[in-house]
Order: sequence, then structure tokens, then C-alpha cells
Amino acid sequence: MTTRPALPAPPTFATGAVRVFGLSLGEMLWSRRTVFLMLVTGVPVFVALVFRIVQSTGVAPLRVNSAPVDGGAIFGMMIWVFFLRFIVPVLGVFYGTALLADEVEDRTITYLFTRPIRRGAVLMGKYLAYLVSTSLVVLPSVVLVYFLLVPLGQVARTFTAFAADLGLLALGLAAYGALFALVGAALKRPLVSGLVFVFGWEQIALIVPGYVKRFTVAHYVQGLVPHAMPSDGVAAVLQSVLRDNPPALVCILALAGVVAVSLWLGVRAVESREYVLDQ
Amino acid sequence: MIVTSEHLSKWYGQVSGLNDVSVVVPDGITGLLGPNGAGKSTFMKLITGQLRPSKGQVRVLGEPIWDNPVLYQRIGFCPEQDAFYDRMTGREWVTALAGLHGFDERAAADAAARAIEKVELTDAADRKIGSYSKGMRQRIKLAQAIAHEPELLILDEPLSGMDPLMRRRTVKQIKEWARAGTSVLVSSHILHEIEAMTSNIVLINNGRLVAEGDVHQIRDLIDEHPHTVSIRTSQTHAVARELLADEGVISVRFEPDGLVVETMRPDAFYARVTDLAAGGRFGPINEITSPDDNLQAVFRYLVKA
Repeated sequence: MTTRPALPAPPTFATGAVRVFGLSLGEMLWSRRTVFLMLVTGVPVFVALVFRIVQSTGVAPLRVNSAPVDGGAIFGMMIWVFFLRFIVPVLGVFYGTALLADEVEDRTITYLFTRPIRRGAVLMGKYLAYLVSTSLVVLPSVVLVYFLLVPLGQVARTFTAFAADLGLLALGLAAYGALFALVGAALKRPLVSGLVFVFGWEQIALIVPGYVKRFTVAHYVQGLVPHAMPSDGVAAVLQSVLRDNPPALVCILALAGVVAVSLWLGVRAVESREYVLDQ
Repeated sequence: MIVTSEHLSKWYGQVSGLNDVSVVVPDGITGLLGPNGAGKSTFMKLITGQLRPSKGQVRVLGEPIWDNPVLYQRIGFCPEQDAFYDRMTGREWVTALAGLHGFDERAAADAAARAIEKVELTDAADRKIGSYSKGMRQRIKLAQAIAHEPELLILDEPLSGMDPLMRRRTVKQIKEWARAGTSVLVSSHILHEIEAMTSNIVLINNGRLVAEGDVHQIRDLIDEHPHTVSIRTSQTHAVARELLADEGVISVRFEPDGLVVETMRPDAFYARVTDLAAGGRFGPINEITSPDDNLQAVFRYLVKA
């Protein structure tokens, strides 16, 4: 019988999460899901490119109810309608609910759950990988759209708002991702539940007068949108219907709360639940 | 004792996966034997902490395993499923999983290299797992289980998909690990695989413990039944001619990619096939498998008795 070498101490929760992050990031970045979502986030870039080309031919600027709409306003609309109302929640649903579901479906979860790390650390590591990989998909697209739409002369004036946009998108990704990581950890059909939440509950709650909208993530994300929208036309109507701004600090605290509570509950769910793999 | 269970039961809703199993698994190598669907996988999942018992209790290395992740520092598990991160190379994968045991980057890489060498995959370590053959995938799974040099190895059908030579080498390797002080619990639905490693077995059927202890009595029973073996080879006719010369062989059936042989003398037959593969005279013999019908027949006999 040979002497067994001394093993290192098992990883702490944080170290375990970082190791799982390292293991998961590459898999997540090069997954078919990410390639598909890169194509989706390419759509606003394409739209911005078309706008830029049309603009360079000297065509009269776009007008809404006789009011000229410049590149900055279109960028603001795209951030609000396309990124915040569509891409960010969709990324949150598709990635967040799949953090563990993909591993269960691929039957690779066994390799992670039979290691000396807490199951919650697996969820946290995969959540971090989600944050990095979705940011790497979304933020470059936003940067490209910004520089295509906003004239160079306006960059200095609008750059602070643009930086706030990037932070806001990252916060949105964090909040939706955490919420749907919880849904994925706790429910058996997480994708359906996630889609119902984003495209059912949030859509309805946001237009119902009263306090119901406070039970959506979108309410707080939209409350942080820094852009001044065009003062008349369709956008203004949208703005008046959809925006009921709570103070920025309330929005930030609410979103941070969503992240913290969802992750805490998600960790608890994953540590108490059995994951039965199909043979 | 490496595993003890007391009145261990597991239900999936209304379906019983394991029913009132009380067993003590000693140090050394123990074979967990049972046909597919017998409850082996459920038992494996319970003793690796993937499932929580519905009733009773299970202890591994003296401690409860459910919700006790620190215990995995002492356990290596090679699961049955053929599932991987296919985009990673074998070395990257084993290194990353070794890292989950607390090794720093360098130590994890060293541990992975040692484990990969033990399973004789060093030449293919830097290839993507997606390009591996079934036998190589089995071996890289073994590597991730042994990289942290555990006290207890739990191997779920570890020889499945290996060619005869690699089977022989892996059996030898498992016995060497046991001699070096690692306890091994290995599951299979093929008695002869288990018998090559140990005489100590636990028999499970229909979710219940049927027998435990020495393999020889069960072995006598199985020898009374014809044993079916599938062989994957391109030289079907030449291999069939060679095998029919063995007096234990009672039938040969040709399949699109190989042969299905019935024999009354499985021990001699397996040795003969391995020799044929080693000789190389009939080209590569890629895989030998044995359906669980053989064991089912024995269990039917046992239940009838």
C-alpha cells in the first residue's frame, strides 16, 4: 500500500465559484445559443449602419410628427425599445434558466456536483460566466450602434449618458440573469415560466395603472434610462405610457435587491433539489 | 467499511428505484452487479450524493454523503453517461475538474497529467474530447475520477465501449489502484467483467438486494446458461471461423458491423477474443459487449429457485 499524498483544502465557496466560472465561460461563449444571440444583437448594428449610409447620402433627416429625429434620439430609442425591452430580458431568460438546465440536459452536471464544492458555488460560477459572456455579446453591439448613430460632434456631450447606458445594460443583465437563474434552479420548466414572465406578466403589469409595475424588473430598468426622448410623436406617447420614473437610487437599490435575493434563493434551491438525469 | 446503507429506499414519485437495501461494502474492490433497470444506477446516485434517500440512510467512508461536499475530496466518481464538454481537450477538462478539488493551476495540471498517463491517453490529451473514440472517452472519464488520488473510487460501468485490450489493461489498472490502497466500487451488468476484478459482489435486481458476498456461487449458475457476446469487427467471417473452433461456442450470428456469439464457456471465450485482438491477425476488434440478457437469465433462475 502506498502513502496517499496530502490533498489541498477543499475550495471555499468563492474559490469554487471562480473555478466553475473558468470551466463554464468558454463553453458558454462558444455555444450555439451565443452565436444565435450575436446574430440577434447584430440587427441594431445593421439598422444603425443603414441609417448612417442613408444619412451620408444627404437625405433629409427622419421626422416624427414634423419634429426631426437625430442619431442620438434614435440611439436612445434603440437602447430603450430594442436592448432594454427585448435583448436584455431575452438573454436573461435564455441564459439564466439554462445555467443548470443545460448541464442537466447534457448530463455533465454530475462532474460538478461530485466535487468538494457547494452546489451553490456551481450556480454562482455559472452566473458569473453568464454575466461576462452576455456582456461580451451585448456591449460591443451597443458601442457600434452608438458610434454609427451619434455624430462625432455630439460624442463629448452624450458620452456620459452613453456610459450610463452601458452600466444600465449590465445592471439589467445582472438582474434578469439572477432572477432567471433562480427560476432555472427552482422550477422544472424554467424557460416557459421565464418567457411568460417577460412577454406576459411584464408587458401587462407595465401598462396597468397603479403599483403592479413595481413587481417587474423592467420598471426599475426603464426608470434608469437617461435619454431625453423626442418631445412629441410616437416616442413621446410610448414614454408617457411606459415611464413612471421612480428615483434612480430606488431603481438601483431595487435591481441590486433583485440580484441579491434571487441569487440567495437560487443557491438555496440548488442545494436542496435533486437533479435526476435521464439515462 | 466504505459504504453502509440501512433500509435504503428511493422512490421517483410512485415508482420505486430502490427498495429497503441494507448492505455493508468492505474495503478493497467490490462489484455491484445487476441487469439494466435493476436499481444499480439509483444506488450509485445515492452513494455519490446525487440523490437524497426517500427512506433509510447511506454513509460513505463513515459520513453521510448528501449535502456533504467536503467528502468528495476523498471520492472519485466515474459516471456511466457518455457526457462531456466536447469543445475542451482531454487535458483541459481533467485539469479544470482537478481544480475543483482545491489544487492551484500548476498542481491541477500536474495531477491531470499524471492521471492521463495512468489511463494511457497522454498522446491524445491535447485533442478535443469530441474527437475521441468511445474507449478513449471512457478512459478520460476514469482520469478525471483519479486525478485527485481519492481513497474511494466509484466506477459506473467503466469498461463499457472499450476494446478487449484496453479492457484487460483497465482491469489490471483498477486492481493496481486497489493494491495501492484505493477502495473501488464498480458496477456492471456483466459478471465476467466484475469477476476479473474481484470475487466480492453485491447483486441487485428489481430494486432489491438479491445477494452479497462471494461471486463463485453466482458464477456457477451463470455457467449453466448460454452467454451472449457482441463483437464489433470488420473481418466478420474470419473471426467467426476462428471462434467456431472453440467448443464452447454454440451459435454465431452475423450483424452489419460484427458478430453475435453464444457460448457456454464465457471465460475461455473472452480470453480467446482478447488473444485474437492482441494478435492482430484479423484486423482490429473494436468492441465487445454483452447484453444484460445473460444476467437476466440468472436472476430469473434465482427468483424461480
